[in-house]
Amino acid sequence: MRNRLPLAIVFLFGVFGILPFFIPHPIVQNLDNEFRNYHLRIIYAFSLVLGVGSIIRHHWEKIRRKKEHWEYSYVLLASLAVTAVIGLLGGIEGKGPLPTSIGRLRFDIQTIYISIAVPLGATMFSLLAFFMASASYRAFKARNFEATLLLIAAFIVMLGSMPPVARLLPKLPFISEWILTVPNTAAKRGIGFGITLGVLATSLKIILGIERSWLGGTK
Amino acid sequence: MNFWEKLQKIDRRIIYFLLLLVIIIPQFRPIKFKPKAMPPVERLFRYIDNIPEDKALLISVDYSPDTEPELHPMTYSLLRHAFARRVKVGVLTLGILGLGLAEDALKTVVKEFQGKAKTSLDSIIYGRDYVFLGWQTPPLVVLLGMGESITKVFPVDYYGNKTDTIPFLQKIRNYRDVSIVVSIAGSAVPFWYVTYAQTTFGVRVGAGSTAVQAADFYPYLNSGQVTGLIAGMKGAAEYEELVERELNVKERRKATEAMTSQTFAHIVIILFIIIGNISFFFLRKKKR
Repeated sequence: MRNRLPLAIVFLFGVFGILPFFIPHPIVQNLDNEFRNYHLRIIYAFSLVLGVGSIIRHHWEKIRRKKEHWEYSYVLLASLAVTAVIGLLGGIEGKGPLPTSIGRLRFDIQTIYISIAVPLGATMFSLLAFFMASASYRAFKARNFEATLLLIAAFIVMLGSMPPVARLLPKLPFISEWILTVPNTAAKRGIGFGITLGVLATSLKIILGIERSWLGGTK
Repeated sequence: MNFWEKLQKIDRRIIYFLLLLVIIIPQFRPIKFKPKAMPPVERLFRYIDNIPEDKALLISVDYSPDTEPELHPMTYSLLRHAFARRVKVGVLTLGILGLGLAEDALKTVVKEFQGKAKTSLDSIIYGRDYVFLGWQTPPLVVLLGMGESITKVFPVDYYGNKTDTIPFLQKIRNYRDVSIVVSIAGSAVPFWYVTYAQTTFGVRVGAGSTAVQAADFYPYLNSGQVTGLIAGMKGAAEYEELVERELNVKERRKATEAMTSQTFAHIVIILFIIIGNISFFFLRKKKR
């Protein structure tokens, strides 16, 4: 029963998810609308509770057991609590019941987001440029014919994206565009078909109960 | 260790430092390189430029702070374009992190236009010219639900107003009244619009993406499933150029400014790759 019930639910809803795309009959369409517009949203609302609960439990446990970098978990939990309170009670741009400014100092949810979350996020992502520069210097070598082709294509695409170079060599951006439009598309389509067929096969295996690893470890 | 070996093993801190310099210095005095718009950007611009009066442009702000420097200028440019052409704009997001960014872009661009407006007709008015629908989840509900009724998916807008009382949404009811949805994302969200919204309801889809992800969009662009594509900082700068040149909208061009840093960073990376390859060849020759 422990296995059969989840398998039956997955089969039922898996098939039900596919049917509306093939059967335009009002009964199927209305049932799909009903499920999608109401029940799916309720399920997603539960996932928020699950997510918040899980993150609090994980970090609380980390603090309790004094695991590596446990101090940062305090920062995370405090940030979570502060932003949640301000977001829930402060309203959009401080129009809620909770005051979100002291004199000219504003700390409403939008200000917090634009002044803290955005620069922090952008900083983390921008580090990628430094790693890419160092990695390309070390790894991007014309060791064989294929690597040389890749190197030439990369050079053309990079040079084509530089406006001063495009001014000196007006045809280069179009060559770069051709690389993306023709050889890139050919490769991407092949990869895309492969991935899609793989996803389709795996999904069918899960729906039909052939693939059961998602159920977790069983005897 | 001889000269060529040393060239093979340049300390990564030197690379980081040089890159830091070429990125930061141009920020103080950016050179305004004027890029020529490539066909994917031009196609999207022309399509939006010809949106009929009774149809709307939907902008889906599906990126998060990490890709903000690259993608936010695209939202600015699209809004400037639509407002300058008096195209109705609906803004939404499928990811909660896009909310603050969408609000920021709307506030900034509306302020730019309000600053120049002399009459109510020139002004950009909420509920008449644009609407901010906010965020709803799960994405599948939004993508398919908007094909039936936008107000049903978003009963209230971002500011808590009932959407069925907003004049904009009394005219723009579902995808049939939407000319194109432009999803700006650092992820696969634009493909979701193609898979669900376009396949089921036939709505046109445009995309804005990061440069590293742009290659993924070309198969869709070639098949016509994606009408146009703004790819990376370069694409954003090209769109800015088109908006300024063709509509005479002269505002701060963040992507064009950032192109200076990006250009110099690319030059440094190319130089290091060349250095790495020259030393590699000399060492290989020596070994033989």
